[in-house]
This record gives sequence, C-alpha cells and structure tokens, in this order.
Amino acid sequence: MKSLNQHWLTAISALFLVSTSVQAEMREWTSSDGKKLEAEFVGTSGAGATALVKLKMPNGTTVSYPISKLSADDRVFVKSSLPDDPMALAAEIDKLVLNNMKKSYYGLRDEFVAIPQNTELTNAEKAKRRAEIEREMKMCVPNDMTNDSQFMRRIYLDLAGRIPTYDEAERFLESRSATKRADLINELLETEAFSMRMFNYFSDLLRVRDSLVMGGGGQLKATAYIEWIKSSIRDDKPYDQFVREMLTAEGTVWDNPATGYMVTDNGMRLCNVSNTFTVFLGTEITCAQCHDHPFEQVKQIDFYRMASFLGEYDTRARDGMNYRAEVERMSKVLLDAGKLRPNTVFDNRLNLILGTKRTKVSDTGRQVVELPHDYKYDNGEPNQQVAPAAYFGDTVNLEKYPNPRLAFADWLTSPGNPRFTVNIVNRLWKLAFGLGQIEPVDNIPGHLDGQAENYELLKFLEQMMVDQGYSIKDFFRVVCNTQTYQRKSENMSPTLTQIDNGSYHFPGPILRRMSAEQLWDSMVTLTTANPDEMVSRGAVEYREVMNVDVTELKTADQIEDFKMRFSRIGNITGGESTMMMGADAGRIGGERMVRASEMPAPQPPGHFLRMFGQSDKTLIENQSTHGSTPQVMALLNGSITNKVLTSPDAYLIKEIAYGDGKKGDKIDKIFLSVLGRYPYPHEKRAAASGLRARNDGETPRSDEEKEIAAIGDVIWALVNTREFIFVQ
Amino acid sequence: MKNLKNDLNKLDELSRRQFVARTAKAALGVSILPVAGTSAKVLAAGGGTAEHCIFFYMAGGMTHMDTFDPKPGTETGGKTAGIPTGVPGVELAEFMPQLAKRFSDIAVVRSMTQKTGDHRGGSYWMHTSYQPRATIIHPSMGPWAAKLLGKKHETLPDSVVIGGGGNHPGAGFFGPSLSPLPIGDPDRGVQNSDLPEGVSDKQFDRRYKLMNTFDETFRSEFKTDEVTAYTQFYDETLKLMSSDDLETFKLSNEANYDQKVAAYGDTRVGKGAMLAKRLVSSGIRFVEVQAGGWDMHNDLWNDIPERAGSLDMALAALIDDLKAEGLFEKTLIVLGTEFGRTPKINANGGRDHHPRVFSGMFAGGGIAGGQAYGKSDKLGMAVEEDPVDPRDFNATIAHALGMDLNKVVYSSSGRPFLVAGHKQDRASGKVVSEGKPIAALFG
Repeated sequence: MKSLNQHWLTAISALFLVSTSVQAEMREWTSSDGKKLEAEFVGTSGAGATALVKLKMPNGTTVSYPISKLSADDRVFVKSSLPDDPMALAAEIDKLVLNNMKKSYYGLRDEFVAIPQNTELTNAEKAKRRAEIEREMKMCVPNDMTNDSQFMRRIYLDLAGRIPTYDEAERFLESRSATKRADLINELLETEAFSMRMFNYFSDLLRVRDSLVMGGGGQLKATAYIEWIKSSIRDDKPYDQFVREMLTAEGTVWDNPATGYMVTDNGMRLCNVSNTFTVFLGTEITCAQCHDHPFEQVKQIDFYRMASFLGEYDTRARDGMNYRAEVERMSKVLLDAGKLRPNTVFDNRLNLILGTKRTKVSDTGRQVVELPHDYKYDNGEPNQQVAPAAYFGDTVNLEKYPNPRLAFADWLTSPGNPRFTVNIVNRLWKLAFGLGQIEPVDNIPGHLDGQAENYELLKFLEQMMVDQGYSIKDFFRVVCNTQTYQRKSENMSPTLTQIDNGSYHFPGPILRRMSAEQLWDSMVTLTTANPDEMVSRGAVEYREVMNVDVTELKTADQIEDFKMRFSRIGNITGGESTMMMGADAGRIGGERMVRASEMPAPQPPGHFLRMFGQSDKTLIENQSTHGSTPQVMALLNGSITNKVLTSPDAYLIKEIAYGDGKKGDKIDKIFLSVLGRYPYPHEKRAAASGLRARNDGETPRSDEEKEIAAIGDVIWALVNTREFIFVQ
Repeated sequence: MKNLKNDLNKLDELSRRQFVARTAKAALGVSILPVAGTSAKVLAAGGGTAEHCIFFYMAGGMTHMDTFDPKPGTETGGKTAGIPTGVPGVELAEFMPQLAKRFSDIAVVRSMTQKTGDHRGGSYWMHTSYQPRATIIHPSMGPWAAKLLGKKHETLPDSVVIGGGGNHPGAGFFGPSLSPLPIGDPDRGVQNSDLPEGVSDKQFDRRYKLMNTFDETFRSEFKTDEVTAYTQFYDETLKLMSSDDLETFKLSNEANYDQKVAAYGDTRVGKGAMLAKRLVSSGIRFVEVQAGGWDMHNDLWNDIPERAGSLDMALAALIDDLKAEGLFEKTLIVLGTEFGRTPKINANGGRDHHPRVFSGMFAGGGIAGGQAYGKSDKLGMAVEEDPVDPRDFNATIAHALGMDLNKVVYSSSGRPFLVAGHKQDRASGKVVSEGKPIAALFG
C-alpha cells in the first residue's frame, strides 16, 4: 500500500541517471533563438528530447543546456554522444512522469491548505472539495512496484495478447536473472504472439473484416490484407511507411494487399476521408462534411479541400474484361457435366468470385469531389470543385507529385505534421496504460500545450518515435521498461473529470478488463500446449487463384478445382491441424480454440468474442470492455468454462493436472496456469477441501471421478474471478 | 472546445452512473428512463394506440411478385396464381391462403421503394431510416421506442430480436444499455441461462463459494467502478437465473404448447412468432422476428410454397392468438424486407434483387385492415402510386406506437438524428422528420 508520507525525494533520487563524457573540444554553439556561444563540449546527461548538454565555458564554469534549446546543427553534433538504449529513455520517461505528479501533488496540497480561507465556498462545498483533493492526492503518489507474478501476467497480456502458459510462467518465476524483466520484454516482442496481439489492435482501428467490402456478397477476401498487416508488425515495418503504403497502394487486394485500406470504405469516399483523419491524425472532422466545425478551426471548405486529395482514385477496375460471358461459358460446361444445382443454368458462386476482379484501386486523374449541392458559405459555390489543400501542417506542393493521393500520403505521414506522430504515441501509450495522454484519443487539439496530461512527456514520446524510426517494437521496448509501467495498477478509477482535465498522472497503469481477444486467447492458452501455433494463411494461394486465367478453364473438373481452391483460402494450418484438417482443426470440447486473430472476423453476435465486446469492425475502435449479464451467464453456464477448459483434451487437464512426469501439486499448477500466481494458504485449503470431499448425496462417485469433478470446480471458480478477467 | 468536451462527458458520466445503477435494478439489458406520454396530436391522427410491436423481418429480399403483390397471367408473373381476399380487385399469392382469409385484419403496402440493391445496405436502411455510414451506427426501432417512450417494463428488456444475423444495427449510438436482447433459437430462449448439463444446484453453489474465496484478496484491493459493476452483474445474474423473468423466454412453458405449435407451424418463423406473442403478453414492447431464406436467385418455385406458406401460417396464427388474448388492438404487426425481387425471371428460374418496388404489411395496433395501399405497375417493375420509402415505413411504426417523429436525439459527437430520418426545414431552419406516416392506414 502506498502512503501519503512517502517522501518525494526518495522516489526521484532512486532514478537511474545516465551520464556520458566525451573528449573536450572547443566549438561555436547556437541556441534555438539564434544566440551564439563558444564552449567546450563536456558530455550529456539524460536521454532523448529532454537530455541536457554540458558545456564548459571559457571561464571554466560548466553549464547544462537542454538539448531542445540548441540549434538543429548542434543537436546533430551531440547526437552520437546521447544514449539511445531503452533503459536510459525509460528513465527519462519516469522522471517526466514523477515530476509532473509531484507538481500536481504540491499544487493540490496548497489548495487543500487554503480551503479554510476560501470565502466563496459554503461549508458543505469545502468539505466536498477537501474530499476530492484528498482522493486526487492519493492518486498523485506512485504505486508500489509489481511483483514478478503481476508483471509477468501484465506483460504477456500486453505484448503477447494472452496469459502465459504454465511452462512460460514457471520459467519466468524461477529465473534468478537480474535482467529477466527486460529479457522477457525483448523476447515477447519477437514472438508471433506479438503480431497477433497488435493485429487485434489494428484490425479494430482499421475495421478489418474478412469480406472487405460491406456489400458485394462477401467474396472479396481480406486474407492478403490481414497477412500484410501481420507481417508488417512482425517485421517491425516503420509505422509511417506502413501508413504511407496503405494510403498510396494501387492494384487489386490479392496482388497488392495494402489496397485493403482504400477498399474498406468502397463507395463512401467522404467517409473514408473522415476515417483517415480519425485513425491517423486523431482528429474528428466528420462535422465539417456538412457545416463549419463549431469548435475546431476547421471549415466546411477545408474538409472538401482535404477530400479533394482523395478525389482522383477509383476502386472500380476498368479493364474491359467481360467476366459475365466467362461465367456463362463455364456454367454451360458445368451444366453439361451435371455439376450444377438442379434447375439452374448459371453458377452464381463463380459469378461472385469473378465479380471481385472489378475491385481495383487506381488513380484516374479525374477529380470527383465537389462542394455539396446545398453549400451555403460565401467562399465557394454549390457543386464547385476545389483544389486540394491542407488546413494545417506542411504546405503541399502538388506539382511534385503524379497524383494528389501521393501528395496527401506524404503530407499526412511527415514528421512535420503536428498530429501524425502524436496520434500514434498517444494511442500506443493508451494501449500500455489504459488511458491516453490526450483523451479522447480522436480529439487531438491543434495546440497541445495545456491540453495534454503531460505536455513535456508527450513531446518526449513524439521525438522518441521519430528518433527510433517509427519502430513500434522499440516504442514498447522503452515504455514497458519504465518503472511507471511496472508499477501496480491504480486501485481507484479516475473520474471522468480527471480524465477530461488530464489530471490522472499515471501513478501506475489503469486497472483494465481484458479485451475480448485477450480473454478468448487466454482461454485458448489454457487448452493448448502452444496457443500461437495454429494460424490462418492464404495470401499466396489467394493471389494464385485470382491470377488463374479463367479463359483456360475448359473442363468441368478444372472449373470445380478452381472453385474448391478459392473456398479453401485462409484455412487454419500449423500445429496439430496438419493431422486434423478442416472443420476439426483446433477443436477442443466442441469449440474451435484458435487465437482470435486467426478466426473469421467479425464473429457472429452470439459468439463468446462478440459477447465480451469484440468489435464488429464497422466503426473505428468499436470494441468494448463493459460488463453484461449475457457475459456472466456465458462464464457461469457456457461451454467454455464447463466443457472446453475441463475437456480431457484440454492442455490444462491433459498435461498440467494429469501429465506424465510432471511433479508438484495440482492446485498450485492450476493457479499458476490461470492466474499466473501460486495460491494463498486459505485458497489452497478451500480448493483442497473439494478434493477430499465425501460423496455429498449426489450420484455416488469413485475417488477418481470426485477428483476430476473437484479439479473442474477449481478451474471454473478461477476463471470466474474478477482477478482473472482484469489485467492487474 | 473544452466546454463541449465537459458537457459531453457529463452525459457519459450520467450513463456510467446509470450503468452501475441499472445492475442493481434489473439484469437483461434494462435501463432506467423517464416515461413520456403520447402527445394529443399523435392521438388525434389515430396513432399511439399500439403498445407493442412485432416486426417480422424477411431477410434476403422477399419477392413481392409471389407473396403480397402477385401478377398472375402477365409475362413476369411466373407460375404464381392469385387467390381472392374478399376485397374486389385485390388478390394475394396462392401461397398465402390463411392471410387471404384474414384480409380484413391486414393492410398490405405494395409501393415500398428504396435505393440500394445490396442486402446489408438495404436492411440497414429499413431498420434505421438511415443509409449506412462508416462513421456512425444508427439505432433500430426497438431502441428508438425505448428512447422516446421510456421503459415499458420494470425488469424485462424493452426490445428483443429473435433469430437475428450479424448485421443488426441494434441500439447503435444509443449504446449497449438499450441494445435489444438477442435470442438465437426461439426454442432455446436466453443463451446460457440454464445450468449446464450434469451440474447440480449443489455443485453450482460449491463452485460459486469457491470463486468468492479465490477472489477475496483481489476484490478488497481493487474497488474500481468496473470491478464493482462486474460483481453486481454476477449478483444480478444469480437472481435472474432463479427468477420468473426467465420463464418468459421459455417457449415450452406456453399453455397448450403442442396445439399452438401446430397452429403457428413447427418452423423458425412459426416458433419465432409464437415466442414474440409470449413476450408481448409479458409486457415487452418491441420484438423483431427475423426469418431468412428469401434470397431466391435460383429455382424460386421450388422454395416459395414452403417459405411463403410458413410465413402465412405464422402470421395467421399470431393474429388469432393476439385476438384471443385481447392484445390485437394493442399490438402492431409489421412485415418488412430489404427489397423485392426482379419481375424478370432469370436463367436459373429465380429472381434477383429489386429495390425499385416491393411490398410490406401492417396489422393490429390501430391499423385499418382490409386494404392494399399503394400500387406497383402492371409488371411489378416500379411504383405506380403512393411511394413509401423506409423512412415513411418507420414513421408509420413510430406513429402507431405514439413516438414523436420530430424529437431530436444527439449522438455523442453532437450530430442530430430523428426516428424516421431527418432533413432541414427550409422555412424554419429546424431539423424535422423526413419520413411521413401512411395516414390512410390509420382508420
């Protein structure tokens, strides 16, 4: 438990400060406001955007200059002397967090002390305000550090998207290495589980559905796009490049999977503009589609100028191929061979498959965006076309680009765009801590100063993202190594006023309910030896099938084979499924226990994932972690807790509780598997009492049956705890 | 901007408090809302007599040519014959004999029209009065009724969707507290509400106690709103599992079960209609029954006798049943679909998507039966008289239930929405309803 008396200086001085020294060298320095100075470079302290540069003056005194106050040339000069290792950067973040928290703490204390003198408040109001301040002051003291169990469970859920397996948990807890936390972070960032976890995040943000186009019969598959996203994460493709590739991609989704992004809002060009702003710039401009934005500095005409950047691409292929005629020809072949349904002469499925060849992203050179028919401001006429222009960020020189879409992509992803980098660091910070530096995350204001929870920290993170070449893995590598991240979760909920005012200062991460995917994937972890092994792959096959020259399909067998190959795209492979093909792959206790990222999305509404709030992928960030009665009924009475986890095929039963050659106590093992910790003595007593229980008037049972039932009870009870579904 | 954010967050805070409060009141997706009365104007125009609504949604695009608007003897009529309804000049398709006999109770609309030929877009428009946007989800009619009229029942949910698919808009931006309760299979009631097979009450109690023991330490350390809310959900679910409310959803407990199944038909739509009646008699306001299988691109006349026949049976039995219970006048029965099917019969003996004209049906709840409103042309290609688009269709439902069509509800981003779509009134500059109720249907 943390106490208010904890002394601030101890917290600060406990931080590890990195200092480096270099060979002395006299040179001229320029400050960012143009002042010049002769001095010797002595060294640096700190790291990243808040580092200090130590200079020795000709008179012998040494001064420390913030690196941000130096000219660009000077910054380049000292850069090689700055530490860029994750630990040094993490220490800077901790310093910024603690300084800010400390400032707030003393501010609140001063306000508290001054309350009696405040003549504007009634006694009741004074009491209320006093209580509020006391509560906020408690949240302005850093939480204790997590123990290894707590850290382990959190880092697995955050980076691998699931709880650790029994073996992983045992290995980490037994390790005596002094660097085991940092080692685990490095290890997890390189796993397939990390790409699965981040895919779940990005697929909610980017609305990735299996059938890409909302209408269209569901045959235009996202398979290749999904695998492209996963491999971009796996290869740690720089985030700015990842975004640029999506915004500029041309071609079909099977030949160029990054086109999946532009195809998602097929036929809804203006929605695509709004969504692109929300996702990549954290800015809601939907209102300006219909009228000047009442609060933000964005006019309706700005919206259409921005939209005009995306006014010359098309998602319809114009290759002149008559697919209908081909389907009719092939239908005839199938009909003659007796392979069509009775009373049909036209193969609709073939028609739907070939129909997807009409979706292709290209730049036409024809501008189609115009002001609306009822445009009412003086700066434009109804139905008038407006030239592409950006209302903030760098000025765009269209002449440098073959089409405006490329210009837009460069403008959006430029480090000179004041919202692009802030948006991603704010979103990733929220992923790690449960709350953004700016809330809501899609409402990044034009001026950050005074609007962000911790302006210095946000600027630090922004610079770090740029310095690290937009590496998402490096971002997490730093953030997860901070003490701020490794502290215990806050045990009070920040109020909405606190969130809105940015006065939650991160004494530790927020206590969060697992996302639907984390919860499902944790269930998968309890049932299989290697939960990350079974994957859905089909991009290569999809490209091959769609590039088959259909005019060459002459016989009924060739046509049937073509249809069969198409229908198999995206099947689960890997792991035991090499033996259990098709519908049986991954089935345990009657349910298909495969990680969420490898399952069709969205799942139908009654599925466990949807019940717990998985996004239906129709809106940006549409997932939810709210509770509901159907959720509780699913955990109490549903098949996952009653059939799957206790199935004789489930890993937890087969290998952990009853496995060969495994020593140790069953109850201990089950606790470690489910909660990532060993039981407390009273818990162990309660669990063991079930194992020893006599036949209790129900059907008489053998000792073995009793034990199996008792083990089932323990698993059921553990999975139903709040401790299980919340991330501590 | 800061102020707007504050105001919006106050709304959020309210809903969060309600979210917690609601768990103490009732469990099946129920929330506390003020109850509003129906305005005198609506009452004067014949609206507001319906207290309940049962909405049959024919997913896939119901052929108008072979159900409510047959064209026998024309080049597009196909093999479908007509049967008399007792109203001169008005016939139904031969597959709907029971409804033809009860035609004095129903009003058919033959001039439905909309703009999109894709299932999802069409279905979305019919359910919400709005075309799909990638930036917001609009609420469907059940949640609109709860929002505008207040809660109907103390502990039961306001709206239920039976047999719905994955794309139902639900409560849209109204949020999960107004979401319709989904029932997959009418025979199985609320998902996971019974103890699993082989688990006795005694074992369940033992497990539950064990869970509380294991969770003690965590719950005493973390008393956040979210953790507390979950614990309340557990308490409420336990209460619910042992309460009478769940009985409402158990179709097998319906009196004269076998006899009723024989009347409604042992089909998805029949059982759905039967459960809908049961829910309505228990006080639930809005029940949607979804029935698929209407996307008849191939071999239409192989499927239609059974598809239309089971619908005919279900609707007829429902009318009779509601009348027997004295609920017919209080219950609006509506039938809708995303579009009709092409008059031209395709190469596979089926009909394709046809949004230009299609049919719907209204009955009970203040509707004057025995009429066919609107007209399609001779071949069933286009609207000839009195077009009705999805906004008018929903305005008619809203009017029958006594909702205020011009009541503006704002989304969390401050955008205005109305139950039957909206437009700006040129004279006043006010946002007003785009949809108009079909006045002729209200006797």
